This record gives sequence, structure tokens and C-alpha cells, in this order.
Amino acid sequence: MNTPDTLLVPDARPYAWPCLGPVASERLALVVIDMQKDFCAPGGYIDSQGVDLRPARATIEPIQRVLAAFRAKPEALVIHTREGHRPELVDLPANKQWRSEQVCPGIGNDGPLGRILVRGEPGWEIIPELAPAPGEIVIDKPGKGAFYATDLDHILRLRGITHLIVAGLTTDVCVHTTIREANDRGFETLILRDCTAATETRHRDAIFTMTEMQGGLFGATATSDQLLAALTSLTRIQE
Amino acid sequence: MTTTLNSRPYAWPWDNNLGRQNTALVIIDMQTDFCGEGGYVDTMGYDLSLTRAPIEPIGRLLARFRELGMPVIHTREGHRPDLSDLPANKRWRSQQIGAGIGDPGPCGRILVRGEPGWDIIPELYPRDGEPIIDKPGKGSFYATDLELILRTRGIQNIVLTGITTDVCVHTTMRDANDRGFECVLVEDCCGATDQANHDHAIKMIQMQGGVFGAVTDSESLLERLESL
Repeated sequence: MNTPDTLLVPDARPYAWPCLGPVASERLALVVIDMQKDFCAPGGYIDSQGVDLRPARATIEPIQRVLAAFRAKPEALVIHTREGHRPELVDLPANKQWRSEQVCPGIGNDGPLGRILVRGEPGWEIIPELAPAPGEIVIDKPGKGAFYATDLDHILRLRGITHLIVAGLTTDVCVHTTIREANDRGFETLILRDCTAATETRHRDAIFTMTEMQGGLFGATATSDQLLAALTSLTRIQE
Repeated sequence: MTTTLNSRPYAWPWDNNLGRQNTALVIIDMQTDFCGEGGYVDTMGYDLSLTRAPIEPIGRLLARFRELGMPVIHTREGHRPDLSDLPANKRWRSQQIGAGIGDPGPCGRILVRGEPGWDIIPELYPRDGEPIIDKPGKGSFYATDLELILRTRGIQNIVLTGITTDVCVHTTMRDANDRGFECVLVEDCCGATDQANHDHAIKMIQMQGGVFGAVTDSESLLERLESL
């Protein structure tokens, strides 16, 4: 049962999330990872590698619904992340650049949407469907994980956030690196299965399996409908 | 021409491996809020001459590093406009002295990113290609990408300058030292709001064989750079 100011997702896998009981909504943040044109729009980095964009774009609509639900609860925090590098590339490891060039055209080089994964370029921006609203926090990160070399941990601790609900791209890379970083730091995490996608769907599914092993190795997973139903019943009780 | 640096308590760097690519000039927080009229330090009523004294010698070092094509990194202390990265106790303490972080001052909101007082003074303004590290704390490593940038560029030696000696410069020096970077503080290129605090901070570095690194002056360093 949800009490007026707490959230419990009873049908999350492998346990009713959060594991230690309902979480107060002011302890909760929605983290939307890297919904940038470079990862899910025509002409972006992933598109230029010839990857089918449909799975990534299928996450946009459910993420919009989850975002709307969070925006209706001003005490809950919304955080967006963007992967990208400084224009002079001083934060780009040489091996990361080299590996990206093997699949062409390479981070920092020109593409149809400007320099690939470079801050300030059109391709690096978050897609308009999921653009951050005023007051929502945007984290610029140079790596896969949203904690490394950023102020994310600092902001979460100052706000007293203990629970993260995670959506975005791509499941096996940036989403799960961030989940692992968060888990090691003691945050209780929930991945929204239909709000995340990978460049290979079997990798996405493997991540769900890994997360749910051993009683919840890195947290739990649920669908956006399961989360929204829990949020809705919460609202109903408040009424 | 000299091939060793005149520094205390030892000739820095410890292995004398001083090169153009492995040595960075780090200029800490030369912002209007710390050394300009109407800024944070001025609002608190401190004597600005102490924090303005380093401007000229830093300018000479900066020019030489640029001539030699050596790495230069600038830092700025400041907070996001929504103050989501401002600890409540830090804000409270600043309000006690009548200069609340985030409050309006003569140079805009105090220590808030994007405000006039928060930016680096024109005399030492970064050039294109020189990274600027925006930091929410005293130290330049915490909650920033400084360490990533230093490691990516292969920098081992850090030349520390800026303000204030006992607060942001010393916290950064301690952070760097614990991470294995070899640091030297250039004493005439630093300043504090209190001269005794500056002097003590310089002295502390030289204890125990150089507990945080070494101390030199801009003239000695410029002479050492001649041999590179």
C-alpha cells in the first residue's frame, strides 16, 4: 500500500521496489540518461554507424509519460544527463577516440549534426520531445557513467536523494554504468524496462537478467505502466 | 640558465622531470568575486590589495607558459543558478558575514555561475583552448573533471597559483598531492584575505621534507623554464 507521500512498485522484478519499503517522494529522483540526438536521431552518432534507431525511439513516448507524472510532483527531482566532450577534447581519452574512429566517423569529427558528441553541437543536444524543463538538473558527463567527473553525487546528497528511477539510452552502456555506480554508492535503483533501449536488443534483455540475478544484484526493474499505476494510486489516496 | 628549480624544501619536481607537456600551470579562482571591487571578498570587507597582488606575477607566468605551448588550466568557484549544488551550511555561513552566496550584490548574484562577479578578471582571462574548471567547492578535484583532464593529457607536475592561498589553493594542493601529482606553489602568485594565513600556509607545505610539495617564486620558475 502506498501512503500519501510514498511510492512502492509492488510488481517490480525481482522484488517489490524499493526493497526496504515505500520511499518518500522527496527522496526520489528520475534520471533520464543521454536522450540526445547523437543516440537516437537521424544523422547522429549512432545513426551514422548504421544502427536501427527504432528501438531507441520507441522509448520516447513512455519516457514522456513518466516525465509528465514526475513533473506533476514538484517535490520529486528530475535529472537529465548528456554524454559529450569539451570542444578542445581535453577530456577525451585517446583510446575512446581511437575506438570510435574504427566505426567511423569518430568522436570530435564532423557529422551531419555537427561535431560528434561535442558539447554545444546540435547532435549533442537532448531531443526536443524530452527537452529538460526549467529547474530540472542537467549533468554533462565525459564518460558512460553519470557519476564520474561530474557533480551528480554532490547534488543528490545535498538534496537527500536515496532512490533513483532510471530511463534512457543505451541500456548496456550508459544506463548500466550509471546503475552500477549508483548501486556501489548505496542508492536504491529501478530501471524502467520499456524506457530504455540498446543498439542490440539482446544486450538490453541481458542487462535486465543481470540486474535481477541473486535477489537483485544492482536493484530492480519494472515497466513504466507499473510505475505509473503506483504513482496514480498514490494520487488517488491523496485525493 | 639553470637546470634545477630554486624551491623549498627541495628542488622541484622531486625527479627533476620537468617538461613542456607534463607540467601544467593551474590558476585558481582569479574571479572578480575574490579580487575585484564589489565582489564577494570586497563585500565581506577584506583588503583587496592582498588578493590583487598576485595578478601581475601570474600574468608573467601565464605569458611564458603560453609562449612555450605548455598546458594552462583555470578554475572558477561558483554554483548553479538554482543552487542545487550549494550545501546549506556553506550558504548559512556566508550569510553570517553579510555576503550570502546566491544573494544579489554589486556584481550580480554572489558566486553564481554566469554572473559578472563570478567570471575571471580580464587581466588573466582564459584563451580559447585553455580548459576552465567550474567547481562547487574549495578543492578543484571534487565534483569536477579536472583529474580526467590531467590524466588524459599526461600531466604529472602542477604549478599552483591563484587565490586564496589558505583556502582554495591549499585544498587543491592537498587533493592533488593525495592523488600523486607533484605540486609546487608559487608564493608571490598567491594571496589570502589575511597575510598571516598566507604565511602559515606557505610554511605548512615545507614541513616533513615537503609534506604537500614545494614552494617557489615566479622569478625562480621563469628562470627554470628557460632551460626547457
